[in-house]
Amino acid sequence: MSGMLQSAALRLGFRYLRPPGALAENEFQQACIRCGQCAEVCPNQCIKFFDNEEGLAARDTPYIIPREKACILCMKCGDACPTGAIKPIKRQAQSILSDVNMGQARVDEQLCLSFQGKTCGVCYRACPLPDIALSVGMLEQPHVSELCVGCGLCERSCIQIPQAIKVIPHHLATRVD
Amino acid sequence: MTAVNNVDHVQTKSGKAPSRPFFLWRHLNKLRWLSLTCVFIMLLLLPYISVYQNFLSAHAYDLLPAADKSLYDIMETITDPFVTDPVNDLDAIKGTTWSASFDSYKLSDPLAVVAQIAAAKRVYWPFVLTALLPIIFTVLLGRFFCGWICPATFLYELNTNLGLLLEKMGVRTGHRRLDKRMKYAVLVVGLLLSTAAGSVLMAAIYPPAIIGRELYYYIALGGFGSGSVFFLLTLLFDLLVARRGFCRYLCPGGALYSLLGRYRLLRIKRLVTRCNDCAKCNAVCEFGLDPMRDDFGQECNNCSACIAVCPTDAMTFILSPQDVAAQGPGHLGKRYRSTQQASLASASDEQVLNLQG
Repeated sequence: MSGMLQSAALRLGFRYLRPPGALAENEFQQACIRCGQCAEVCPNQCIKFFDNEEGLAARDTPYIIPREKACILCMKCGDACPTGAIKPIKRQAQSILSDVNMGQARVDEQLCLSFQGKTCGVCYRACPLPDIALSVGMLEQPHVSELCVGCGLCERSCIQIPQAIKVIPHHLATRVD
Repeated sequence: MTAVNNVDHVQTKSGKAPSRPFFLWRHLNKLRWLSLTCVFIMLLLLPYISVYQNFLSAHAYDLLPAADKSLYDIMETITDPFVTDPVNDLDAIKGTTWSASFDSYKLSDPLAVVAQIAAAKRVYWPFVLTALLPIIFTVLLGRFFCGWICPATFLYELNTNLGLLLEKMGVRTGHRRLDKRMKYAVLVVGLLLSTAAGSVLMAAIYPPAIIGRELYYYIALGGFGSGSVFFLLTLLFDLLVARRGFCRYLCPGGALYSLLGRYRLLRIKRLVTRCNDCAKCNAVCEFGLDPMRDDFGQECNNCSACIAVCPTDAMTFILSPQDVAAQGPGHLGKRYRSTQQASLASASDEQVLNLQG
């Protein structure tokens, strides 16, 4: 039973994001009542729900796979959430930068075209917080700053397969083994 | 019809004819079905609206496949009279019966609040307040959610009818009577498990929450989840083991509302002077109560099916925090008449004895 109920965040493997403004993983599971309103208001329909694959405790909780469909930071889900599992955040750069922490993008320089001498810069064009979260240097080589909120639009738009820029979810980055 | 006419000539002890219940009460059951149908239609419509909004914000009508184009057109026709800016205006109504928002006003199932408090072990007041109105209504009207709103009730009652049809065709269905207190145990165990797991597990075993969610999964996300398997199992349980078994014996939400509605003000009462003991009310009661013997208790959901079915208009609503005590056999029934005759006979015997003495 305890294995089945183990928090999804404590297991390796599946890389997913929680909606923007979501509480820390354990608190999120406690607070979310699985009403599904976050997905219903999502204009991009990027929010999906777990079945049993991440354990019984994570059943029917919302997640985002940025490579499939990334968050456009419209911040509607926070307003829709009745329980505060997703905090309401204003749709302004300042509040998004300070309150949203879905994860942080990481560039794989072995895969990134710009680092291989072929000017690309697609991730920079896709970034909703250009020059704040993601800046480009010589040959449009992307550099992620500490301010990146992890929306995943860069990962979504990367033209390399597999993608050269990935969002490392906050709950995986802060995981304690 | 003759029975009804007879009733009006019956004289009670006080010499007054018993009053008929307000004539609209027996039509409330139709209103209840309308309400259930509307809720279910909304649960179907809202995911489609969500998909439509998704199409709208993508600004790519021409790129949609043919099926999605027709969905777009249909939803545009349906919603057009109500909105000017569909992308934002259609956010006005969202959610399911588990938790919904009407513009900025949010309503939640009291069970969602209780289960969330159990899981999080702390109280988040803005969420608790969303269940305030449902709680007030449940305290006043009892378990009305079960009969009037619950999308599972809609399907379970259709399932009951399917069972009756099967019986007519000679297939045996389940009519076991189990212990009604089981659902209170399910409520308590569910809350304890939610606390232990740190997760609102109650949402996974509560049919109305499952239905709202699964319909969204099916319509907007392209397929049912495993919750629908659980719901199908409850349908089979109702069909093969006990009629309306899940609601009667297992539903944690029903248990919570029964407790909240224990001292409800609106109740159904049997008018003993009009009752002929035909037991149709008992047969029709989805929750397996005993209206004919005045046994409603905390589990009656004021669904008014017994009022609608009563051939002698012997059921009515009253405002009272308690059920009336058992009133004995109906005055139009055989049992009452035989006891009356017996008592008359014994009374005359006594008189004879007294005279002799």
